[in-house]
Amino acid sequence: MRVKAYLSLFRVQALADLQYRLAALAGATTSIFWGLVEIVIFTVFYTYSERAGAGIPAGLSLNQVVTYVWLAQCLFSIQPLALDSEIQAKIENGNVSLDLARPMDLYAYWFAKIAAGRLTPLCWRGLAVLAAGIVMPAGYRLGPPASWANLLWTLAAAASALFLAAAFGCLLSSVRLSVDWGSGPVFMLILVSQVLSGSHLPLQLWPKAWQRWLFLQPFAGYLDIPCRMYLGSMPLEQAAAAIALQWLWIVVFVIVGRLLMARQLARIVVQGG
Amino acid sequence: MKSLRLYAKYLRIHFLSGLQYKGWFLMTVQVLFTVITDPLGIILLFSRFGRIGAWSAEKVFLVYALALTSFGLAESFARGLDYFPWRMIRSGDFDRLLLRPRSLLVQAAGSFFHIHRLNRPFGGLVAVIWCLYALEFKATGLNVLVIVLALTGGFLTYTGVFILTSGLAFFTIRSLDWIYIFTNASYQVAKCPVDYLPRALRHMFTFFMPMLVISYYPAAAVCGWGQPYWKGLLAFPAGLAFSLFAALIWRVGVRHYQSTGS
Repeated sequence: MRVKAYLSLFRVQALADLQYRLAALAGATTSIFWGLVEIVIFTVFYTYSERAGAGIPAGLSLNQVVTYVWLAQCLFSIQPLALDSEIQAKIENGNVSLDLARPMDLYAYWFAKIAAGRLTPLCWRGLAVLAAGIVMPAGYRLGPPASWANLLWTLAAAASALFLAAAFGCLLSSVRLSVDWGSGPVFMLILVSQVLSGSHLPLQLWPKAWQRWLFLQPFAGYLDIPCRMYLGSMPLEQAAAAIALQWLWIVVFVIVGRLLMARQLARIVVQGG
Repeated sequence: MKSLRLYAKYLRIHFLSGLQYKGWFLMTVQVLFTVITDPLGIILLFSRFGRIGAWSAEKVFLVYALALTSFGLAESFARGLDYFPWRMIRSGDFDRLLLRPRSLLVQAAGSFFHIHRLNRPFGGLVAVIWCLYALEFKATGLNVLVIVLALTGGFLTYTGVFILTSGLAFFTIRSLDWIYIFTNASYQVAKCPVDYLPRALRHMFTFFMPMLVISYYPAAAVCGWGQPYWKGLLAFPAGLAFSLFAALIWRVGVRHYQSTGS
């Protein structure tokens, strides 16, 4: 009964977001451009640098990096780079009290909304980026997955990534609930998540000594783990463990988010009117 | 003059209201954070792959930092224009600006100011100075002038991009995300040594949006990478020309404005 309400909330929000097809495609042009620039930079490093072969011991050839860039640009859109704008507005103008008046669990309500907001960019924008990656000329092209099994694991990891992004988005909203702290803490959390996700630089190309921690930290789950599965740069025997790791962090984010929200709601300040 | 005073007043009010938040001191931590994380990718790449031909990490980094600082300055001091299409046009708030007998651009530019945005120009400037030092920069009057004019021209260029976006927003209301190509994505281009840049990109960011004119040419002039001073000094006029072009579009846009929202 309850779950149905949240599912329909999710559906309504997702359908509303999907209306903005043109806006999504305009966003895709930026992703495609960004991807091309990154590919140019990687190609220069892999071809003309002093230690041009240094990517291979890290487990990534140039072709794999190019594929990584496209996948990352596609999956990048699920990362929460800001608070859900509607929720932020509600906190700032006091309409959060309206949400509190609903006979619903606020966390689940926001989770449904945020999850929808994370999924929809993937549909238009993400697919447009992938399509662009496939039709690029050789040297810039998105390569095929290592195997069909790899592709299936990638899809499973990407689906978990969506939940991870939604759980983190909810955590951010809970942090933002204390109006008198402003947006500073949220801004910093977002920055950390962005850097550690591997969207700036594939985590495998980071220094060798950090690899273990980089893999275990929560934000590898956004796109680095799905990308490793697609490229086959991670043995498939580890795939199940990697997805379990994603879910471990989802559970942690949900628990912390809920606790924090409960604490914040106990002394919430509603401003505006 | 009056406009400048008004603008300064806007900034002061936003600054003071920013200080009302409990977490405002976190800003200093944020500064440190951005300074470290922004260039992290390129630093790690250089540490793994080593230099690219004649291009050491410092050289690439100097060009990148000049573009980054310029963007950061524009983002800090013209934040309102950056937000304009999203926060002013769609909500219909622009109507209120039209009622006031003051410059529209100044009002729009001063409508937002976030302290934490200052971290990018601050970090960028530190990087510029560090790179110049590492590259044995000779601090003659002319060299310093070239760098200062480069940053001024860069500020004008990126402010121009925001004005252009805002001007276009009068026509399209939504669907403006492609403009990021000329903001956040543009200075990513500076991470690639200019000699290796595909010609299309190089021309686009020289002759249309002068990102390389405000970063690469001044850097090359003062560090002696074989570019003449007059090219380095083009940064300011190029930035000015670009922002004037943008202001023209803005003017046409304002004429064309039909209110939305309520």
